[in-house]
Amino acid sequence: MSSNQTLVNVVKSEWIKFRTVRSSVMGVIVFFVLTLGLGGLISWAIRSHWSHSSVSDRLTFDPVSTSLAGIIFAQFAVGVIGVLFITSEYSSGSIRTTLTAVSNRLRLISAKTIVLAVTLIVVSEVVCFATFELGQSIFKGVVPTASLGTLDVLRSVLLAGAYLTLLTIAGFALGLIVRHSAACISIFVSILLIVPIIFAFLPQSWQNSYSKYLPSELGRSMMSPFPPAYHLGAWNASLILLVYVIVVYVVGVILMIRRDA
Amino acid sequence: MLKIDHLTKHYKETVAINDLDFEVMPGVVTGFLGPNGSGKSTTMRIILGLDHPTKGRATIDGKSYENLKSPLHEVGALLDAKAVHPGRTARNHLRALASSNRIKKSRVDEVLEFVGIASVADKKVGGFSLGMSQRLGIAAALLGDPPVLLFDEPVNGLDPEGIRWIREFFGSLAKEGRTVFVSSHLMSEMALTAEQIIVIGRGSLITQGSVDDLTATAQGSVLVRASDVTTLTKALEAQKAIVQVANDRALTVSGLTSDQVGETAFRAGITVYELTPQRASLEEVFMDLTADSVEYGTSMPGAMPRE
Repeated sequence: MSSNQTLVNVVKSEWIKFRTVRSSVMGVIVFFVLTLGLGGLISWAIRSHWSHSSVSDRLTFDPVSTSLAGIIFAQFAVGVIGVLFITSEYSSGSIRTTLTAVSNRLRLISAKTIVLAVTLIVVSEVVCFATFELGQSIFKGVVPTASLGTLDVLRSVLLAGAYLTLLTIAGFALGLIVRHSAACISIFVSILLIVPIIFAFLPQSWQNSYSKYLPSELGRSMMSPFPPAYHLGAWNASLILLVYVIVVYVVGVILMIRRDA
Repeated sequence: MLKIDHLTKHYKETVAINDLDFEVMPGVVTGFLGPNGSGKSTTMRIILGLDHPTKGRATIDGKSYENLKSPLHEVGALLDAKAVHPGRTARNHLRALASSNRIKKSRVDEVLEFVGIASVADKKVGGFSLGMSQRLGIAAALLGDPPVLLFDEPVNGLDPEGIRWIREFFGSLAKEGRTVFVSSHLMSEMALTAEQIIVIGRGSLITQGSVDDLTATAQGSVLVRASDVTTLTKALEAQKAIVQVANDRALTVSGLTSDQVGETAFRAGITVYELTPQRASLEEVFMDLTADSVEYGTSMPGAMPRE
């Protein structure tokens, strides 16, 4: 009899699956283009209007988060990558074929998570450092720039990549729970985009005390060298986002194991 | 060996399978028959660990599917041929499956060649016809060279050449000593493919046995063509036979042997032109057996509701 299946075998298999469908490859390309393109565009706009900007604008200007601005859009691209990595298996029915080849569901989810997390952390960090450097090179000579030599700047760029990776895993975990691509993407976008808008209608004091716990605001804390007003510090924000993701993930894993495929 | 051990499956209110209990032996093709909605696919899904049974269990050589150490080497299955990511090529689909079970790349080419889709191996599966998808599904089932094979409605979408190929193929798999379990809602197909048959209806076992046993237990009938069918009908009915008019000169008689029909005609002084014992076809046996358990049956052939 042949040798037993191991996690490594399943990781290899999931890696083949990840890179052989258009949705994930396109997702990664869109992620690159959005982050670098928009980050570059916004940085260029700031540079060209710098001479007209007010003193207060100049004083509060943050070259780090401005160069990373494209991430606000890119976070949806990575979320979709995470969601589709599991929901496409359900929409096509291929989850049944997958589970006949990998009957240990925990092993399957672990392998998928490893492929997703490793790919996304690499891609995200590359994208974040690239857009940071692009922004600084656009600012250079006119607008104040930041340097990775400063510890808080380095931390901001690193955590920006971590933020995107955590969102990808959150999208994947949501996919384990909801299983329908469209429904899942809607929920993901709502949490990042609609919930903050609803918060904006709440009394100011509530906003000040609670909106910092929204995933999107946690992201802002993570990728700023100093915390924005009424926001958490970067490490606390990272920790809270990690807890959110773990909660959704654990629910997703339990449902995946217990439900009929 | 495949063992279904008092299996019950409820989906919310519906009972899909009710205390199903049977074994599938190696070395022969076993047909798994039942009308649509009788629980065949559910049973297959439970065997493969996709659905969790409400009660009982299904085991492969004593182990449940989740506990198999290297699933594709132990069981090969074709459930739903279209259950493949449409954007992936056939080769990549098989390569991903193969690598999860430590199967060599060369084996992928082998099975692609064997099922006859090597020429479209690098095309996206989304563009495949049902027949091509079936072949891809069969290729996937064969990857690990498993001793147990399950096929759910494998002939769907295959052309006549493909159907003949698959019949011979199932036979050869069984001859190699494998357990081959094939579901179908077509008795006529199974009569040609399977040696052993398991019939279910509404989630319960109706009967099981060899194809020959099943047809033998079925009540045959006798076709008789005679000079005076009216008199003959009366004479036969006097002997408690069930007589149906086949055409103006012929009767179909059940409940009597051909000898008895002939003697009855002789005593009534009727000339018999033809006397043919008719063995019930497996199809008729199946219809008889499952008549009470057809979930979506039509009331009468050709009876369209009218305004």
